[in-house]
Amino acid sequence: MRRIIDNDHLTMAARVVVGVVFVSASVYKIIDPGSFARSIWYYHLMPGSLINLIALVLPWVEALAGLGLIFGFLYRGAIVWVNVMTVAFIGALTLAVARGLDIDCGCFKAADDIDGSALQPLILDGALLLLIMQLWFSRSRRWMCGRK
Amino acid sequence: MALRQTIYILLIASALGLGLNLVSPNRLDFIGNWRDLHDGDGPILPPDIEPGDAPFIAVDVAQLDFSARAALFVDARDPDEFECGTIRGAINIPFEYLPEGDLGPYFDSVLSHLSKDERIIIFCSGEECDVSLHLARNLQALGYTDLAIFFGGSREWERFHLPIEQRRPCDE
Repeated sequence: MRRIIDNDHLTMAARVVVGVVFVSASVYKIIDPGSFARSIWYYHLMPGSLINLIALVLPWVEALAGLGLIFGFLYRGAIVWVNVMTVAFIGALTLAVARGLDIDCGCFKAADDIDGSALQPLILDGALLLLIMQLWFSRSRRWMCGRK
Repeated sequence: MALRQTIYILLIASALGLGLNLVSPNRLDFIGNWRDLHDGDGPILPPDIEPGDAPFIAVDVAQLDFSARAALFVDARDPDEFECGTIRGAINIPFEYLPEGDLGPYFDSVLSHLSKDERIIIFCSGEECDVSLHLARNLQALGYTDLAIFFGGSREWERFHLPIEQRRPCDE
């Protein structure tokens, strides 16, 4: 089991998949933070005064964590962030589903429309968390360009 | 080391996000004025409430019902105003165009797909119009039991950039 988890190729594949997901998820939010702020507001989970700050900073955390995973810089910090963000997204989506909100998750596109289901991104986030767990426990440090 | 790197990422992200916002064409205020669900801002109320009127709800409550698809939204304004822009999915029951006489058969046909205990949210333009209030009183009198009045109306809905539906361009 340990040998599988530490496999260099498996670890690199997980880094690329998780990294690309986070970088691509950050792009629209960086371009249009106002729409992302509205997505956050739809969840009714954050204080209104903090929503814009989160909408401005969180996409860059996503982008840096994703790039950090792919290229191997600030690697442990990147793993912590993708873990924290994925668990937070799962929590927020679960609450939305539990409250009966049929909302766009705000994950990959602007929230010009609040039609959409939170269930599909919930399943995707669950799958993503499995890959992140692999990265968390893997001791592979090949193909990294920065501090480990 | 992981903690230190976690903080580095947060600091770099903050510098990039907040710094670039200063020169961005899509610039945001750092402190948002998003209305909180429980911030104490109550619903907008008309001056002439009577005991027994349907409850008045704030925009955030209306939005929750909207996103949960838990209510039918009824626009009480004239058809021209309705077609120019209304809450997405709303139907139009123009209060000032209601037929004379017994309104029961009229409402039964317009709301035939609803039972009388399903949730209906009635609105008009905003605080200067009261047709939503009068329509709600009529529906109450006919036995509709789960009514709410969103007195902020379409203007407050648009102010929060919530989804609207426009059937034709507005008249000048």
